[in-house]
Amino acid sequence: MIEWIQRRRGLIAGIIAAILFAMWASSQYEPRVLASILLSGLTLGALYFLVTSGLSLIFGLMDVLNFAHGTLFMIGAYIGFTLYANPRLLLNTLPFVLAFVAGWLLARWLPFSSLPAGHRRPLWVVAVLVGVFAVWGFELAPLATTALSSGGRVPTEQAQAPVGLFIARTLGLAIAGLIAGAAFIIGSEHARRPANRDLAWPIGLLALALIIAPLRLSAEGWILALDSNTRFLLALVAGAGGGAALGGLMEWSLIRPLYSRPIYQVLVTLGLVFVGTELVKGIWGPGGYFMELPAWFSRRGPSCPSPNLIAWLQDNCASIDVLGRPFPSYRIFIIALGIAMFIGIAVLLRYTRLGMIIRAGVQDGEMVQALGINVRRVFTLVFALGAGLAALGGVAAAPFLGISPGLGQEFQLQAFIAVVIGGMGSFTGAAIGALLVGLARAFGDQIVLTGIQLPWMSEAMTFSPSIARASTVLIMALVLLLRPAGLFGKKE
Amino acid sequence: MSDVLLEVDTIHTFIGQFHILEGVSLKVRTGSITALLGRNGAGKTTTLRSIMGLNPPRSGSIRLAGEPINGRPAYEIAQLGVGYVPEHRAIFRDLTVEENLRLAERKRGDLAKRSDFIMSLFPDLKRFYRHPGGKLSGGQQQMLAIARALVADNRLLLIDEPSEGLAPIIVEQIVAALRQMAAETTILLVEQNFAMAAQLADEYYILDDGRSVQHGRMADLVHDHATIDKYLGAG
Repeated sequence: MIEWIQRRRGLIAGIIAAILFAMWASSQYEPRVLASILLSGLTLGALYFLVTSGLSLIFGLMDVLNFAHGTLFMIGAYIGFTLYANPRLLLNTLPFVLAFVAGWLLARWLPFSSLPAGHRRPLWVVAVLVGVFAVWGFELAPLATTALSSGGRVPTEQAQAPVGLFIARTLGLAIAGLIAGAAFIIGSEHARRPANRDLAWPIGLLALALIIAPLRLSAEGWILALDSNTRFLLALVAGAGGGAALGGLMEWSLIRPLYSRPIYQVLVTLGLVFVGTELVKGIWGPGGYFMELPAWFSRRGPSCPSPNLIAWLQDNCASIDVLGRPFPSYRIFIIALGIAMFIGIAVLLRYTRLGMIIRAGVQDGEMVQALGINVRRVFTLVFALGAGLAALGGVAAAPFLGISPGLGQEFQLQAFIAVVIGGMGSFTGAAIGALLVGLARAFGDQIVLTGIQLPWMSEAMTFSPSIARASTVLIMALVLLLRPAGLFGKKE
Repeated sequence: MSDVLLEVDTIHTFIGQFHILEGVSLKVRTGSITALLGRNGAGKTTTLRSIMGLNPPRSGSIRLAGEPINGRPAYEIAQLGVGYVPEHRAIFRDLTVEENLRLAERKRGDLAKRSDFIMSLFPDLKRFYRHPGGKLSGGQQQMLAIARALVADNRLLLIDEPSEGLAPIIVEQIVAALRQMAAETTILLVEQNFAMAAQLADEYYILDDGRSVQHGRMADLVHDHATIDKYLGAG
């Protein structure tokens, strides 16, 4: 018995602390106020979790501290929002990206590989020149801004550019991709090896690009004519997919060459924060956007707020009654999304071979290699997965927090705190840390709003707003004093 | 020379700034157990890691069945049929015994095919099949580490100090198991415990200060007290 208590003293201390806190909180607030604080905390916690889970998995598996994770969160929000409110921007740029990638992949089938390595540098230069020539005179700004101010309905001059010219640009970028791909391959190990003879990818991508090109105006109309719920789901998928693709690209191009130089890696991810922020400002402008809630979460009317969740399924009210207080139904959705992702990742880690490789790799990546598993490929996959989760969080946060180039940084900081509280590299830790940070923020906000009433005081004790932000750091300090490796961290 | 499975030719390996292997050469015959002997720090572990591709040599060559493998990534070398049982076992502590073994599958069904053989060698593993690897005793962890190298179809096993820190009775079990395995595969064994190495090995190589200094038949070495004192004695 005593031994059992000693072994679980951390858990017991945690439960006692939670009970004491719950007793204090329930004496301080009415149940309905408490319920909405808790739900607000859960909402934030769910969003933090989408960032921390990837952050923690990436750190655990490859020892990379990805400072740019919050930036991926923000870019996810922008991509999702763009599909939701201004698909013109995506439809007019996606063919270029697809064509470039198709050209890059196609390079393996051409006799470029027999060129001597000395041709590399000139080929890169040619690729850049061809690429610049292909997009010369193509402006993004009118696609990004005017579509919004006109409600997204009126095609801008840019979007109406002749199909012929647009296709010529697309093919130009495919050629640029081909040359760049060749420059990448020649003299490297790819050239020696028999190419993967699957032509389906490059041809499929190029075909997709050429199909979108003439249809982009009508496709814009189709997407905007879809109901807001469908567009919202598409936005979640597009944001997560785009974020995952960016994450994979980032690992493959910038992180991978630096595994033997961890300090450089940290600096690269830190640099990407600034690059990403400026890139977003360049494409979407420095101002913020507001993403409208889809119909599922926005109805107002005499029957609102919905009396309970079941009723909400019928009436789709903007808020749901929680113990007599309305609570936004969209935030319930965020909580559900967070829980669903938690379960999804837990199942992935527990029951799939990929999950087994990840768990083993967190402990000893070298031994996983020695068993014949290409760990580098798993690294890219996990990086993409983590980035996709963060980007999904970004899309989900967009209607709730708004979209601006600064969105990522606030989340990044809180997510780091959450990961440190939970223990670097532990998935459960990431979830618990995110939950604690979310709840701390919610209670902090409430304390700032109403102060704390203590029995021996005539007036409530008041606090400055910074206490809400400080609260998470205080928790982190406390946890680190008691458990230097975090709640679920492994002792070194 | 067709029966040489592994041929290491004057490899030089650096770890950071340190020149650890300064020209190691050895040959392992198909179907034999070859012992790699030498004092602490002689470069035995680094030799295995160089062969495995974990510390790739800067110069020299390594051939597996005539095919050069140096410079290839570790996972490709493993896929060519090289199993690795590292120093300190490197069990995945949070994974169950079953998961540890399953991870070593290179084709679906590898484990099912070899399971009976593995369990006959190490019955303990069957008993703790669903326990986390970290909960096993040191001897059981060593058995698991060896078993993990047996799951896939490996032509060559690199085994690093299987007797380290184990009770004599456990060492006996492991010797028996290695002997049974030797009937089917080829083993390059690093071992500090000379008695154990002498029981098992057909041939030996002695490393000293990052160089291979002597080799021959194990049966001859056991009587060569001068050599044993010079290269393997304490101090």
